[in-house]
Amino acid sequence: MKWYEAISKIDRRIIYSILTICIILPFFTRFKMRQNIMPQTKQLFDFIESIPSNDKAVYISFDYDPQTMPECHPMAIALLKHCFARNIPVIGGSFNVQAPGLAVDAIATVTDEINRNALSRDDSLIYGEDYVYLGWKSGFIAAMIDMGESISGVFPRDYFRSSVDSFPLLQKVDNYKNIAIVIILSASDYPEYWILYPQSRYGVKIGAGLTAVMAPKYYPFIQTGQLSGMMSGMKGAAEYENLILTHGYAKKLGKAETGMNSQSMVHILIIVFIILGNIGYFFARKNEKSQQ
Amino acid sequence: MKRRLPLAICFVMGVVMIIQYFIPHPLSLNFGSMINKWYIVLAAFALVLAIGNLIRHHSKKIQKRKQGWPYSVVTLTSMFAMSAIGLFWGVAPDSLYQLIYLHILTPLGATMFALLAYFMSSAAYRAFRARSLEATLLLAAAFIVMIGFMPFGQYISTHLPPFAEWIMRVPNMASQRGILFGVAFGSIATALKIILGIERSWLGGKE
Repeated sequence: MKWYEAISKIDRRIIYSILTICIILPFFTRFKMRQNIMPQTKQLFDFIESIPSNDKAVYISFDYDPQTMPECHPMAIALLKHCFARNIPVIGGSFNVQAPGLAVDAIATVTDEINRNALSRDDSLIYGEDYVYLGWKSGFIAAMIDMGESISGVFPRDYFRSSVDSFPLLQKVDNYKNIAIVIILSASDYPEYWILYPQSRYGVKIGAGLTAVMAPKYYPFIQTGQLSGMMSGMKGAAEYENLILTHGYAKKLGKAETGMNSQSMVHILIIVFIILGNIGYFFARKNEKSQQ
Repeated sequence: MKRRLPLAICFVMGVVMIIQYFIPHPLSLNFGSMINKWYIVLAAFALVLAIGNLIRHHSKKIQKRKQGWPYSVVTLTSMFAMSAIGLFWGVAPDSLYQLIYLHILTPLGATMFALLAYFMSSAAYRAFRARSLEATLLLAAAFIVMIGFMPFGQYISTHLPPFAEWIMRVPNMASQRGILFGVAFGSIATALKIILGIERSWLGGKE
């Protein structure tokens, strides 16, 4: 076998082995590269910064599942940290049936950390007053439209089966008028439906945290201003983690930063393999032509 | 009658809901809200149907000892066990339900999706060849976006991240907008065909 044939026919087991090393290695080494913040991530961060404390709430629609957790879960944690650090009430909900478990985990991770370090009531977070998780609801298009009339009408009980009327936060916020922005964390088309229905009817501001595969579809919505900001993929999550760290809302970086190192190494590896494959292809073609 | 009644309901409700959407009068809003609540309940029934179908399909498979029937046992056992745990012991952050969800279902789901990285890298290596001008352009764009979006990219050239962002904001956006327009027009045409009774495949059967 000639050298150019060899580099274009590398056994897939070799590729898989090198890939595994590239994914695992960054978790055991400590290196940090400066993140160049994308404008749409900064836009979302700035929007949250512009919301006055203890005024309007942020509604987070947790619509991701375990499959896309590595990209969307760090986004949820960074976003919750930012909102709570700025005393912005958070209401959570889900239209993806697999999402509630992850939403509960993200909220519990952040609230437990804040409450552990709290010195007074002002520093701590109370369920029902500072945050609420409403759980899952079927018929998502009808539900998101109807929430414009009454959130408690669509979600009469929260995820833990408590009546939402008993929560001071839901007494203050019963429709989109008291919601500063709805942020959808998803790996599918939920943000598009939020833009098509509740935004066009009630004018609610929409933000998104999407997987890297989904993000390119939403660039037109950023340009038109229908999306008030967007985190795209693990990079978006790492950027948001960096933003809240540099602004003093978090003490350390989250999991997306480490994930980005793995992802970068895998991307470099894929590029190297594609180049090798193409070199082999060109030399093989050249050889074929010369033989003809 | 069997076909005319659903067609009539579809036409009336379709037209009424379109008109209702553009009238912000309390009467219209209350009507819209009521219909939306009906829709939410109907969608929940679809879930019940799905569960029923799942039970029937896997029960038959187990009864007839078809290939892979032990997996059906695992599916049904998991479904009933998780339902019972959630219903009787709750779904609080420190509950057994949440523990199983986070430590069994989540790693399993993440693992399945993570396998894609292996298949994609192997497929990209084998199939991504600069065979034509279009393929070369695609390859170049993919390289620039991949390197530009990596933190590593800014160390190669400070112009790389803005250029990658430009690719996303201009050529990508133009094509995405074109697709969006196409989908929107297609959706409007299909919706009108269903409301007017031209498209009847949703009724099932022939004709």
